Amino acid sequence: MMNNHKPTLKESLKGWLYVLPLLLIIGVFNLYPIVSSFAMSFFTEYNFFTNEVGALGLNNFTTIFSDPTFHDALENTLIFVVGVVPVEVILSLLIATLLNQIKWLSNLFRTIYFLPFVTSVVAISMVWRWIYNKDAGLLNVLLGWIGINPIDWLNDPHYALLALIILAIWKGLGFNIMLFLVALNNVDQRIYDAAHLDGAKPLQQWWHITVPMISPMTFLVTVNAVIASFKVFDEVYALYGGQPGPAGSAMTLVYYLYRAFYEQNKYGQAAATGVVLFILILLVTLVQMWFSKKHVHY
Amino acid sequence: MNQTFKKLAVGSAVALLAASSLTAILPVTAKAASKPTKVTVWHAMNGNYNDAFQDEVKAFNASQKKYRVVATGQGDYTTLNQKVMAAAKSKTLPVVSQATYTQVPDYAKQGIVQNLDKQIKGKDGWSKKDLKNIYPGFLEQTKYDGHYYAMPFSASVRVMLYNKTILDKYNLEVPKTWDDIQKMAPTLAADGIATVGFDKSYDMEWDGLVHSTGNQIVDKKGHVKADSKDAVQAADMLNGMLDKGYAMTAGSDMYGTNNFVNGKTALSFSSSAGVSATKKAVPDDFDWGTAVVPEYQGKRATPFAGNNLVLTSQANKKEAAGAFAFMKFLTSDKQTAKWAEKTGYLPITKKAANSKQYNQYLKDNPLATAGADSLQYGFSDAAFPGYQEYRNNLTATVDKMITKHTPAKEALKTLNQQTEKTIKDNK
Repeated sequence: MMNNHKPTLKESLKGWLYVLPLLLIIGVFNLYPIVSSFAMSFFTEYNFFTNEVGALGLNNFTTIFSDPTFHDALENTLIFVVGVVPVEVILSLLIATLLNQIKWLSNLFRTIYFLPFVTSVVAISMVWRWIYNKDAGLLNVLLGWIGINPIDWLNDPHYALLALIILAIWKGLGFNIMLFLVALNNVDQRIYDAAHLDGAKPLQQWWHITVPMISPMTFLVTVNAVIASFKVFDEVYALYGGQPGPAGSAMTLVYYLYRAFYEQNKYGQAAATGVVLFILILLVTLVQMWFSKKHVHY
Repeated sequence: MNQTFKKLAVGSAVALLAASSLTAILPVTAKAASKPTKVTVWHAMNGNYNDAFQDEVKAFNASQKKYRVVATGQGDYTTLNQKVMAAAKSKTLPVVSQATYTQVPDYAKQGIVQNLDKQIKGKDGWSKKDLKNIYPGFLEQTKYDGHYYAMPFSASVRVMLYNKTILDKYNLEVPKTWDDIQKMAPTLAADGIATVGFDKSYDMEWDGLVHSTGNQIVDKKGHVKADSKDAVQAADMLNGMLDKGYAMTAGSDMYGTNNFVNGKTALSFSSSAGVSATKKAVPDDFDWGTAVVPEYQGKRATPFAGNNLVLTSQANKKEAAGAFAFMKFLTSDKQTAKWAEKTGYLPITKKAANSKQYNQYLKDNPLATAGADSLQYGFSDAAFPGYQEYRNNLTATVDKMITKHTPAKEALKTLNQQTEKTIKDNK
């Protein structure tokens, strides 16, 4: 039932009462930490444990921006995002389309593709450590069949980031395929029937009907993937045994943050890194929203 | 159905209430009977080590009535450190915590721990004789800024493992010097065996080599000499061996155990505390032994690692006294020898190391002798605020030399600058 009259004060209060519990939870566990980490990024002289702030300023930001390791972390994170997101989105869309075509064993395949999503990152990384093993790893055996020399995936700084990207794509596929399948099922069959009558071939149907019709889902999946990729940490930590890859070659922004906070007691710099990450994700998401206004059909 | 459910619900609610009111009363009655001061201890000992630690706690609790130690494992050292930091912030620190000795300066600087000077110098403290009884390398670990901040507890040292089968097959002796290693390496390399196996990084071995030459990477006063001529030369030697296939690092295996057990390396450098892990990993017919690290330029030096016990700043007077009593108990000759036998860590005191009991243990466990024999060659790094950052930079430097083949001179010069900056920033 739609209410068109202006809500009375009592009704408003009642409404607020309903949202209050969740608001409290979000306030305590989300908003307060965000605000305080923003504040912390400006504390240049700070005792984390007594909460005494000696001085404020922009020093934390200037320090991290002049730190070569931070530059590496920023660069690696951007490479990671660019490497993961497009492949992950396109690949999961393709697999979802194919899965949507078959009837036989489709549920089995859906389960198989979904498995990585419900498995813990640490367990997955353990398995991939074996796959990437230089001497006995599955990947090198497969590459050997097509004549490629064994690659020391986990110890060669040139391949560390690539190894991470492959793992992340594989891990992200399952959930995205699921989302795409939902979207594909929601496309009105009559549009396809009409196209069929007009003589459109399957590929044309896919490109001119499927892709535009599921664009809201593509948008959602992309935004999600971008945000998740910017925040990559668990995979690095688990795959490289608590190190940011050989010679720091898989150092990411969140790893840099973690290290500053937990290992080097540089709380202000850790918070500043968090702020930089926040602004980066915000900017990229805004660009995506702007882009979506032009290309996403609701 | 509905009725039964209702009854069940009411019943369980009553039971819950009763239970909670009972637990509310219980501590009061317990307090009235006898009231030993509770001393909470956080540690990072797992598996066998945890069992052995709980035995120590039980023995202490049985030995007196004034204090009751309650020890809880917090996971590994990384997790323990994270929990200590969180607890320091929320003011819920335990009375005692285990901490790597290199962590202590940071803790001291941030006010997470309190110094033990009063207790050590007090009437129940340690006499000069007691202090002399402790190996100086371990005692050094407990001090920061001229004060005692920790009690030595689980100590280990780097030792060398050797594969007897390989050495016998090629008619080689257990090497006594690095020159010996260089001489035997070409023979083994010809058959695809690396003579020396390191963990993921060789930084501990390099540290030992630098010490052998009479230098320190960072000295107690905070002077940095990571790129001294001797330091560069030592790194050059290790890098050269890696390049020629005379040595290999463990890479993503982290520890050299796998390579050693699989016969890819003839010698392997390991923590003496890791010998028991290797013992578990080797097949029954694997013939191997342990030895002290080889001499370099006529001298021998091997770094200690140690996980000490600290008293946190949130402990009150009574708890602090209990904590010290517990620490003193653990470092007593009898207990430290027992602890060493159960875990493979080293005894902290000279008397314990020379005791009949411990020597009998060594006779029964010849693999443990290298650790005990290394006690006289052991040294501890100078710890300073920001040490963790230095160590991160050090492992990254070694990584760069291993994986990117950055020349030692250049890599160590950068490390020197980074370390000087770290020390300055953390002053």
